[in-house]
Amino acid sequence: MNDVVLKLDSIVKRFGENVVLRGVSLELHRHEVVCLIGASGSGKSTLLRCTNLLETIDGGSITLFGQSLMDERIDPDLVRRHIGMVFQSFNLFPHLSVLDNILVGPVHALKRKRGEVRVEALELLERIGLAERANDFPDRLSGGQQQRVAIVRSLAMRPSLLLLDEVTSALDPTLVGEVLDLLRDLAAQGTTMLIATHEMNFARDVAHQVAYLDRGVLVEQGTPAEMFANPQHESTRTFLERVR
Amino acid sequence: MRNLRLTLAGVMGASVLTALTLTPGVAANAASPSLASCKTTIASHEYTKGKLTVATDNPVYTPWFVNNKPSNGKGYESAVVYAIAKILGVAASKVHWVTEPFNTSYTPGAKSFDFDINEISYTPDRAKAVTFSASYYDVQQSIVALKTNAIVKKHSPSQLKNYLYGDQIGTTGLAYINSYLKPTKPARVYSTLDQAVAALQSGQIDAIVIDTPTGQYMASSQIVDSKKKLIATQVGQFPSVGEHYGLLFSKNNALVGCINTAISTLNANGTVAALSKKWLGIYTSVAVIKP
Amino acid sequence: MSLETDTSSSDTPPRLFAPRRRQFLVGRRAVWASTISSVLLVAAIVAVFFLAPGGAQVRYYFFNPHNMWVSFIGNPGKGLSSIGTGILTNIWIFLLCEVFVLIFGLIIASVRMSQSAVLFPFRVLSTIYTDVFRGIPILLVLFIVGFGIPELRLGFLSHQSPAVYGCIALTVSYSAYVAEVYRAGLYSVPNGQILAARSLGLTHSATMRRVILPQAIRTVIPPLLNDFISLQKDTALVGTLGAIEAVRAAQIYDSTEFNSSSYVVASLLFLALTIPLTRFTDRLIARDRSRRLAGSQ
Repeated sequence: MNDVVLKLDSIVKRFGENVVLRGVSLELHRHEVVCLIGASGSGKSTLLRCTNLLETIDGGSITLFGQSLMDERIDPDLVRRHIGMVFQSFNLFPHLSVLDNILVGPVHALKRKRGEVRVEALELLERIGLAERANDFPDRLSGGQQQRVAIVRSLAMRPSLLLLDEVTSALDPTLVGEVLDLLRDLAAQGTTMLIATHEMNFARDVAHQVAYLDRGVLVEQGTPAEMFANPQHESTRTFLERVR
Repeated sequence: MRNLRLTLAGVMGASVLTALTLTPGVAANAASPSLASCKTTIASHEYTKGKLTVATDNPVYTPWFVNNKPSNGKGYESAVVYAIAKILGVAASKVHWVTEPFNTSYTPGAKSFDFDINEISYTPDRAKAVTFSASYYDVQQSIVALKTNAIVKKHSPSQLKNYLYGDQIGTTGLAYINSYLKPTKPARVYSTLDQAVAALQSGQIDAIVIDTPTGQYMASSQIVDSKKKLIATQVGQFPSVGEHYGLLFSKNNALVGCINTAISTLNANGTVAALSKKWLGIYTSVAVIKP
Repeated sequence: MSLETDTSSSDTPPRLFAPRRRQFLVGRRAVWASTISSVLLVAAIVAVFFLAPGGAQVRYYFFNPHNMWVSFIGNPGKGLSSIGTGILTNIWIFLLCEVFVLIFGLIIASVRMSQSAVLFPFRVLSTIYTDVFRGIPILLVLFIVGFGIPELRLGFLSHQSPAVYGCIALTVSYSAYVAEVYRAGLYSVPNGQILAARSLGLTHSATMRRVILPQAIRTVIPPLLNDFISLQKDTALVGTLGAIEAVRAAQIYDSTEFNSSSYVVASLLFLALTIPLTRFTDRLIARDRSRRLAGSQ
């Protein structure tokens, strides 16, 4: 696990007067799953968005595969093709069928042949048990199904790194399981993931590292065992007691 | 005494009849009283007894008036007024001038003058609200075009059909184009005369058909290029087809019969022609061409 | 105090019938009520039309069948243009303008919303464009184009018919409006859609084409059609440049024959054009609404 995929160094992000990230540093290795925990508004989502350059940072640096993303010659579109992102509210494209949602990235960003990607996409859908819904439009699917399609849409880009932003928070409790199961599968296959989540049990099971954010500060980081059994900081302890 | 009364009644009846049957063309015929009777009766119909009160706009322009002074007897309309006064036995010193804006002259209602003289065209619409005398000036339609346009040289009746004309909506000029010129390309119709002039200046139309006085003004001072050089010309004017200027009276004014008698006398003895030659040379000198 | 919710008892069930004086407003009787009220309304209008002191005058000056027919077919001998032919001018101007407005409006909106550094000056220009041409009355734009371009004496460009200049002016004006309609439509697409598309590595323009536009168009169609309905009517303004379209033909008839029935003819022809479009727009809006309601269930 010495292979560093992503290195965040002292990231600072402001929205006007409001400082959302106050120097967050984090490393992510190949095949590693890191879970970001913390209260709403602690900066988890913002950190993920900064990572794939949807937000520009006000300080610090981001390094992907040893290349600084702060370099002016960096093309953000190329960076994002290697980083998958899944959102709390799915953000499937409502005017495209399930299959077309998955194809749009590989075909129009990577310029791959439609026929070839189609086969892969159908395989991916098969794996999540939604192959027969390929031609349906997203609004015909349940929330859990939609979120799994959104995850597959990211995977179709064959990303080196997957960012997941509270992907179960908008789901009906009965549908959370199917999405988390898919993520467990992905983790088991060695997908590198940075996951912002409120699901503590999931984090305990799947994460290699858990990082606790509090008001824009990464308070502490460690293995799930360390973090959940023996948090070092008072604020971590309070937070975990509240969510337990 | 009894005789005089009868005479008066007869005159009044006749002039009322005249006013009622007054239409262009027949305005000055049989029903008019004789000149001799007019000389004695005119005073009784005057707005201010013993004076002939005549209205016009202020300012007024040549060649209708000179130096903006209607009372100097100079200019065509001023000269016509004094000729009428003279023939009716009204001394020049008894002609009293008052001001009446053009746009209110033909509105309905009582008037504070005997008649108004201000290049007012007879129209059926206006004649519903006021009474007009017979014509003292027959309006002719003329062609105005840029000096560079082919129409300046080629305007035989058959050639005239091939040009693209433009005019303001509802004008006698537009009616003339459609009734007499009958061009092969339908005339362009603009909301205002200024727009038609703009179209002429930019070469979108070949010519405008407009009454001779207005056309003369357009060609001699209005249509210029960026160096203020005159670029338009009055190609020619067509024979009159009945449009005319008339003196304007309040509706059914009793005076109109005697004034018509005076006008027809002035026409018959050549006075009108002489005055027109003297004052309206710039209009009468425009070549007459056939439609 | 007890919170009693069921105040009825088995022997006195709650009253469910409408009060007697309102019973004609419910159920089958409602059909009768609406029929009677319609008939009364129409009768009232007809009565005013026929019994008003000036009714005969109005019928003669505005609804005279003979004048309506003559103004419709025209009479070249008297210089009366046909309103029927005139409306064809309105139709082709409208159709042509519509196509150009759709294209230019989209270009202006896209430029205005672009993020490319190269397009910066064009972005400023398109902002100025929409501000300026939404602010100037269309009539003035018509005059500027219709009398200005010919004055430039630019050969071919300066020798077009008034209808063409009218078309240019209407396109210039309406593109500014339609650009704003597009822009509102593009902004109506949730930001999450843009984030999702960009996260897939789609470029700005690919995001626009594949994700934003297809969704924006659906919201944009009803307001666009509304603009087109007013564009249809504004083709009448082209008459001020000297083109003989329906309204100008009607004016010529009125000023020559002193009968305004020609205006009624022109109005009817315009209605024949706009009503199908207004009905279609309403149906689209209703369909979109029912689809959205179904989607939220």
